[in-house]
Amino acid sequence: MELINCVPPENPNDYHDVFVYLEIRNEHITKGSLEMLGKGRELAEKLGDKVVGVAVGKGLKKIADEAASYGCQIFLGADVTDYSGFSSVAYTEFISSFVFEHKPSIFLISGSREGRDLVSRIAIRCKTGVAADCIELDADVQNRLLIAWRPSFGDKTIDQILCKKHRPQMITSRPGSYKLPQQVEKPDCDVRIKKVKMAKLAQDHKTLEFKKKDRLDLTSSKIIVSGGLGLGKPAGFKIVQELAEALGGEVGASRPVVDLGWIPYEHQVGQTGQTVRPHLYIAAGISGKIQHIVGMKASETIISINTDPEAPIVKYSDYFINADLYKAIPKLTEEIKKVTAQVAAPSS
Amino acid sequence: MKIVVMIKQVPDAEEIFIDPVKFTLNRSQARGIINPSDENALEAALRIKEAVGGEITIISMGPPQAENAIIECMGRGADRGILITDRVFAAADTYATSLTLAAAIKKLGEFDLIFAGESTTDSGTGHVGPGVAEFLGIDQVTYTINTKIEGEMLIGERELEDGIEVVSARPPLLVTVMINANIPRHSSLRKKVDAIRKGIEKWDHDTLSLPPDWVGLKGSPTLVGALKIPEERKRASKIIKLEEIPDLVNELVKNGVISTGGD
Ligand SMILES: Cc1cc2nc3c(=O)[nH]c(=O)nc-3n(C[C@H](O)[C@H](O)[C@H](O)COP(=O)(O)OP(=O)(O)OC[C@H]3O[C@@H](n4cnc5c(N)ncnc54)[C@H](O)[C@@H]3O)c2cc1C
Ligand SMILES: Nc1ncnc2c1ncn2[C@@H]1O[C@H](COP(=O)(O)O)[C@@H](O)[C@H]1O
Repeated sequence: MELINCVPPENPNDYHDVFVYLEIRNEHITKGSLEMLGKGRELAEKLGDKVVGVAVGKGLKKIADEAASYGCQIFLGADVTDYSGFSSVAYTEFISSFVFEHKPSIFLISGSREGRDLVSRIAIRCKTGVAADCIELDADVQNRLLIAWRPSFGDKTIDQILCKKHRPQMITSRPGSYKLPQQVEKPDCDVRIKKVKMAKLAQDHKTLEFKKKDRLDLTSSKIIVSGGLGLGKPAGFKIVQELAEALGGEVGASRPVVDLGWIPYEHQVGQTGQTVRPHLYIAAGISGKIQHIVGMKASETIISINTDPEAPIVKYSDYFINADLYKAIPKLTEEIKKVTAQVAAPSS
Repeated sequence: MKIVVMIKQVPDAEEIFIDPVKFTLNRSQARGIINPSDENALEAALRIKEAVGGEITIISMGPPQAENAIIECMGRGADRGILITDRVFAAADTYATSLTLAAAIKKLGEFDLIFAGESTTDSGTGHVGPGVAEFLGIDQVTYTINTKIEGEMLIGERELEDGIEVVSARPPLLVTVMINANIPRHSSLRKKVDAIRKGIEKWDHDTLSLPPDWVGLKGSPTLVGALKIPEERKRASKIIKLEEIPDLVNELVKNGVISTGGD
């Protein structure tokens, strides 16, 4: 790749259809990619275009069927006959070649780790731009433009991002941003799979091992109980855990307690942790600094427990329990157990 | 090993606010900090340098005050610092930013490893690292929580959604580093003073032989069309005393916030 600027195509209107990258994990298309497929189909229908699924992997027949069942209209597959694991360089080459051949107008990629690893290489290879982490997509049909909205600076503003001259117009959205599409009754998909080799491209890039371990994904949790420095000691997480269990939820944390090693990083909520939006978020012993707030303020109901009535978290709370968390948390757990027990053992 | 670490100075989130009159983000008054995962990238680089020897060059594209971030990195053990600064670089999107940084790395000459953070907190795309790799035509190992050199190869542990992928790849390589990869060390005051004495090199578009319309806003395929300010939801902040917790739980059940398993 030369160091060259981003020259746009002469006629952007030569570009048609909506590409969606179909990421494969555990032999299935990821939920994030299916969401994008649903969104892609919506945009394609609006623009009078087709939605095209693109995938790289072994075989791919089953993947093509899965894509078709979710409304994919054209499937472009790169069947890697000498597959040696994920390689950014090889995947970029295969996917970009589909872009050069088909000339899509829009290209949607789920903003998973793999999606974010690939998207900017593909964009630069295709001399176009990317709007990352969009939360809202729409089409300006007359001008055949994709209107993408993305939050920036910790959700302080939402920016409209346009890519007027370059094609494809590429975007990513975080998994969970859109609804999963319904399965279609009569799948109708033009499946085109070509055989490719990766050895030359992925030279000396090898996956040695894959240690399977599901990362705690707080982004899909319905209830989260988080503890902060106000716990005072690592053992404080015991009562947080008990409350979370009573509610059938997960445990979250602020950053300092993670830095102190009281709880693993995968529990951290906030700017440098996970962004969550549960039905119920309980913040115990957390002051509510902006870096924590941006990661949880979209929660449906927020309860905070703090001894300090002046703590910033108060104004972000629906309910503020002004008490020592060592008294309030066990009380909450007890009361919750009572109401759930009532249902388990109905009084006659 | 010749190692490059790309770092960006970002505004401290706490100090960003929206100008109510001009309706724009006021970043200039915010205190600058090193982007969090870039600190981890530097730490990963320092550990490789300590293990196998080498030299670390920091590059950062940003306004003149970003010099402070570079000095801090020198204080932690980097050997050389270059600030890529020029009015024409302003408002670059990831294409133009990656192009500019790649041009700077090319100018530096030979390198084995380029370290970058996983993403930045101000625009947060995570695209610049892979973008630089693409321009330089090199392989990449992203989302690492552990990196080491074994023989001629880099072994990296990549943290993915469903597990840890261990990969082996051959330098030259671009590596991006997660925020939970390590705990960054503190800087030494003496080294910082040395860095200030030595001065930070400054490069502009001329130094990089990049035409002004290839960089910054002009060289960017994407543009911001409009800006919305999301409405902050007002919350009731209803104060609950310890003895009122039973009432609170009842209210939560009644409002369907807590499900009792009955529905
Ligand atoms: C670049 C950057 C990124 C960051 N990213 C994150 C992030 O992702 N997530 C995050 O959380 N932080 C993040 N931070 C840190 C953030 O700025 C705050 O330092 C942090 O959120 C504070 O954590 P805390 O509320 O647990 O601790 P504190 O601010 O110390 O608050 C402790 C609270 O506990 C209360 N308390 C004490 N004892 C009791 C008791 N017995 N009962 C009840 N309440 C009690 C106190 O009144 C106080 O309000 C980041 C900072 C920076 C600079
Ligand atoms: N202006 C810049 N100067 C130097 N490095 C940068 C710059 N912007 C981004 N980077 C690097 O690229 C990484 C990803 O940035 P981003 O794509 O903006 O999230 C950062 O963590 C830095 O390592």
